[in-house]
Amino acid sequence: MEHQDYQELLELHALDALDVSEARVLEAHLKTCTECRDELGQLRDTAGLLAHAADPAGPSPEVRSRILAGISADKQSQPVVSTARAIPLKSRAERNVWMIGLRLAAAIALVALLVGVIVLWRRDMKMRLEIAQLARQVNTQQRELVHDRDVLGRQRDALAILNSPNAKKMELAGTQTAQTARGTFVYDQKTGRAILMAEGLPATPTDKAYELWFIPKGHSPMAGRIFTVDASGHAMLPENMPPEAMANAVIAITLEPKKGSAVPTGAIYLSSPSS
Amino acid sequence: MQAEPSQISDNDLLHAVARGDELALAACYDRYRLILFGLILRILHDRQEAEDVLQEVFLQVWRRAGDFDEARGRAFTWLVTIARSRALDRLRAAGSRTRLSDQAAQMPRAEVGDAALDALKSEQGFIVRTALAELPEDQRKTLLLAYFEGLTQTEIAARLGDPLCTVKTRMRSGMIKLRELLGPSRDLI
Repeated sequence: MEHQDYQELLELHALDALDVSEARVLEAHLKTCTECRDELGQLRDTAGLLAHAADPAGPSPEVRSRILAGISADKQSQPVVSTARAIPLKSRAERNVWMIGLRLAAAIALVALLVGVIVLWRRDMKMRLEIAQLARQVNTQQRELVHDRDVLGRQRDALAILNSPNAKKMELAGTQTAQTARGTFVYDQKTGRAILMAEGLPATPTDKAYELWFIPKGHSPMAGRIFTVDASGHAMLPENMPPEAMANAVIAITLEPKKGSAVPTGAIYLSSPSS
Repeated sequence: MQAEPSQISDNDLLHAVARGDELALAACYDRYRLILFGLILRILHDRQEAEDVLQEVFLQVWRRAGDFDEARGRAFTWLVTIARSRALDRLRAAGSRTRLSDQAAQMPRAEVGDAALDALKSEQGFIVRTALAELPEDQRKTLLLAYFEGLTQTEIAARLGDPLCTVKTRMRSGMIKLRELLGPSRDLI
């Protein structure tokens, strides 16, 4: 439909005389056409004047009283209405309270969460530390265990050597350099397995080590193992006797550089009596 | 407001009603009760029903005065539209039509002595009646059927036994003529 077609409907619409379908189509057009809307407004003003074609008539005076009483009642019920209107406001306030409550709850939850995280993190740290400590302890104990087993093993070895029917024992005496030192050297004459037990040796300087020497008769010294002593000057050292030293050899301990020497260079600390 | 309500414009009166001014509503009633009651009575032909509707109309005016927008039409048109719609709704409601039979007995003649009524008859009514009298009879008839009986173009065609397009043309021509005739004096009414 053209604008013109809509315009031709306006007079009848001002009288509400269009059929429903036409009226609906025109109303849709009026939403977008201000020109037609203005035109319709003027035509409705004209149609409204038709009211004057009716004979004016006076209603009974009670109607006025009823209307005024009605609006007073309406106004008195206004508080109800305004309460009703206030409800959204109140509920808005309540909603605000709810919002504040929710935000507060969220903030508390966040703080609680952070505290929880920190507590857990700290507990975690503590547990890690404890675990690390325990691990260290286990390590230490393991090492101690290994050491103990080592010591035990050596002692067992020493016992085995000492109990052997082929065992031969040699007493070592401290020299001028270490007068309080003494030691025992026991070896199995068959297997050559031996053990050195020393005590009273001075603490080993950090860059030095004691070295065991086998000096068979008529031979140059043969290097044995190097070792250090603990704080009390004790040492227990498993050893394998060189076959050359089995028959008749002197056992001596010297202080050598840390990595040991091929030939003795330092002072003799312990020595078996020369036969 | 009570002192010289007649000097207040219709627009201001409705704006005051919208603000909850009861005196403004009373002034509005006093100003328009005769024309509006006449209109409603003309539609319903029953005083009792017409008074009920008039009361409904002013309660609606009281509650909806805030909806009145002077940019979209005159205050008088707004009031009259409410009265006519309410009356036509009542007319269409079941039971109202049956009372049309005794309309003659109910027709109002009681308040003829009202001075304001006489004044109305002599001014606004005269102008509109004169304008209507200048329309051809068939045009005038369609307008009055549409306005006071709330009939659509199709219903009018059926009532008069005329083709729909003829009825449309008559109604359009009648409205255009009426607008021409009342145009200059419209603001006086």
